[in-house]
Amino acid sequence: MNSGSKRKTIDTILKIVLAVIVFTLPLWITSPTYLQILIFLLLFAYLTTSWNLVGGFAGVLPLGHSAYVGIGAYTSTVLWITWGLSPWLGMWVGGIFAAIVGTIIGIPTLKLRGAYFALSTMAFGEGVRVLVENVMHLGPCIIGGPQGICLPLVPGNNFTLFQFVSKVPYYYIILVMLCIAVFITWYVSRIRPGYYLAAGGEEPEAAQALGVNVAKYKVWAMALSCFMTALGGTFLAQLTLYFYPKQILGLDFSFELAFIALIGGRGTIAGPVIGALLLRPVSEFTRIYLSSVLPGLHLVIFGAILILVMLFQPRGLVEPLTRFYDWILDKLSGEKKEVKA
Amino acid sequence: MDVIIQAIINGLLTGSYYGLAALGLTLIFGVIKVINFAHGSMLMVGMFAAYWIVKLTGWHPYAALIMVVPMLFFFGYALQGVLIKPVLEAQREVREPTEVIVVTTGVWYILDNLALMLFGAEYRVVPTSMSGQIFMLGDYIFPKAQLYGFITTVVTSGLLLWFLKYTKMGKSIRAASLDRDAASLMGINQYRVYNIAFGIGAAIAGIVGCVLIPFYYVFPTVGVVFDVKCFIIVVLGGLGSIPGALIGGAIVGLIESIFAQYIASTWTELIVYVVFLAVLFIRPAGLFGEKRDW
Amino acid sequence: MALLEINNVSKHFGGLKAVDQVSISIEKGQIYGLIGPNGAGKSTLFNCVAGYYGPTIGTITYNGEDITGLKPWNICKKRIARTFQIVKPFQTKTVLYNAMVGAYIRTANPSEAEDRAMEVLKKFNLADKWNKASGNLTIADRKRLEIARAMATEPEMFLMDESMAGLRPNEVDETLDEIRKIRDSGVTIFMIEHIMRAIMSVSDKITVIQFGKKIMDGTPQEVAKDERVIKAYLGESYGAA
Repeated sequence: MNSGSKRKTIDTILKIVLAVIVFTLPLWITSPTYLQILIFLLLFAYLTTSWNLVGGFAGVLPLGHSAYVGIGAYTSTVLWITWGLSPWLGMWVGGIFAAIVGTIIGIPTLKLRGAYFALSTMAFGEGVRVLVENVMHLGPCIIGGPQGICLPLVPGNNFTLFQFVSKVPYYYIILVMLCIAVFITWYVSRIRPGYYLAAGGEEPEAAQALGVNVAKYKVWAMALSCFMTALGGTFLAQLTLYFYPKQILGLDFSFELAFIALIGGRGTIAGPVIGALLLRPVSEFTRIYLSSVLPGLHLVIFGAILILVMLFQPRGLVEPLTRFYDWILDKLSGEKKEVKA
Repeated sequence: MDVIIQAIINGLLTGSYYGLAALGLTLIFGVIKVINFAHGSMLMVGMFAAYWIVKLTGWHPYAALIMVVPMLFFFGYALQGVLIKPVLEAQREVREPTEVIVVTTGVWYILDNLALMLFGAEYRVVPTSMSGQIFMLGDYIFPKAQLYGFITTVVTSGLLLWFLKYTKMGKSIRAASLDRDAASLMGINQYRVYNIAFGIGAAIAGIVGCVLIPFYYVFPTVGVVFDVKCFIIVVLGGLGSIPGALIGGAIVGLIESIFAQYIASTWTELIVYVVFLAVLFIRPAGLFGEKRDW
Repeated sequence: MALLEINNVSKHFGGLKAVDQVSISIEKGQIYGLIGPNGAGKSTLFNCVAGYYGPTIGTITYNGEDITGLKPWNICKKRIARTFQIVKPFQTKTVLYNAMVGAYIRTANPSEAEDRAMEVLKKFNLADKWNKASGNLTIADRKRLEIARAMATEPEMFLMDESMAGLRPNEVDETLDEIRKIRDSGVTIFMIEHIMRAIMSVSDKITVIQFGKKIMDGTPQEVAKDERVIKAYLGESYGAA
């Protein structure tokens, strides 16, 4: 008897339908406002997935990751404005620069215990912000200080210069980036570095006794995470065409990345995506509809969600949501989930 | 030379209330081992409490201490008992649970933004008998309110040290900070100790509120300014060390005021961060902290 | 030539001499025991060998090579495995995952690591629990996993730190059988243990430590009769008996 295959079929169908919807979304949601919201949702999912490589898999809590978003944005933008380098290439320069900075900072800080590591990332992030705010020019390059940088508008759709009139290309670009990031996360978790990272994050001494140079892998994860995060920074710069230190290098931004992962489920592959899916709409809609009436309400709600999730589902919402999905599959197929023997 | 001495005086006076603000945090961080990101918000609550009491009753801010301190104590006690304790219990195995950080951040967001919603974003000031008054010693200026703040810091620290060293509850707190489980095996109710430690930390934040209102603006996000600074001070001085918090505060105050003579104040912020990172890398235990496997 | 040589090793923590000029020589294929009253310095000595910290004075040689002060992961790469007194499973991960972390030191290939891990689990009767979260195991199974996981690194030498603490008598016997099997498969064992009947019955040779110093070494029979050892464990008044 083929038990379970009906369930599997339904599972596969649902997933295919979901993929089709996601990939054709711009065909039916044409309002630029809503598209923008979706793009930001995907961007945050991407950034948090990158964050998750350190914050989830390595088991530490980085609270200053916006520094790397900023490094990406500033590097590619400055390279373009000053020397005309295509942002697509500048993106990679920014990524490598961020990886180097992340490694240099990571080596001493990743040795620190939990709370101290978190504080050091905050101090570093804030330090970078203050530094950039104090610099108007660096040689021939405009940095802009606290006002930030405004990217010159390029007319029409220009792929090389990474600017488009409609939101649709941006949607697909970030969607592809997100898929790649999720794939990388999935792949890493199945190969040795992923195992070593998880082991080192949970029980560093035991891992060391089993041959894991915990610090080396943490730094490796940090470098990869910073690289990927910086790419997202370039995307953000090209999307909004304006950024400034308090926003792109700010503590709020860093915290939001961390919390999306924590609420979704850090250390899981789907966690950051789910976290972004749940929290970004809350953030956006309360801001749009309520901020004039009750400023700050969206943060009150955000704070309340944080507390409730940590009290009742500290491992994140991925677990209960997965169980819910399984339940739906059970109901639709009339079969129960197979338990691995 | 005169300028430097005045800068040193200013730095020490400022440093004293930084240290006082950090005092509560070092107790909480040192005892319960949690990063309390709501610390700045508790400070803000203390400041608003002091502000409203002074504004509505016309009392002297230091008289308002009578109401503010107990209020904040119970607030801290309740916060720890209701929100933080369940998370700590669930994460008993973990030495420093990150979930608590998230919870305290949630509290921070809620408190700051509730204040924003209720009171608006304006910067408030309440005139007191001390505002703007100064003492002169030779050519040097000592703002009255800040001088009183300095004295308050010294007195509060002394009281806290006495409490921790000589009272039963104080000793229990110290025991619990060294080893949670060992202390509870000795019959110390771990969580009650934490509640009280948190309450004391919050009460001190209340004292800081009263000290600050004669010369500091009151606004919903005032806590953020202090939050990061307090953590830096606590790390500089050594986790759980009271003299460390005071000296750390003095160091930060001095760095700010002395460097401000030569460079823009925006750069002094950077220097504080650099010093902080240097301390973390070179001597994570801080100046007076115990050597542990940080 | 001995497999492991601990040469005049001392470990000082500030003024405290936790280990004081201890020399031990372990031959290949032996089960070598380390006993002594609580606080004698046994775990400290283990930690020196395992690379957790380095000795203050003295050297440690393995297979003729100086391994003094090597980091724990490099010690493991040299084929010396260790377990911990208080077991440290990767609690949120499955039993198989735990074993795979061990297996990964000899291969980077995920499916090879998985196969080797499963083999080891089978040897230790944990194969049917491969999918269980290791945090949910009984204490006996956790101890077994600790051993299995270390064995997955394919060691030549195994440092076992009180692997039988807290076990019931029948579980102790099972563990003793496993230890013998491990030795028979070619692994030299250096173990700390407090359960006297266990360590006496399984060791080829024993060193006794007190206050950081070696009091004597010899076969279990010699050790049991030695007056200094009796005094150390039972106090001066029993010495003459």
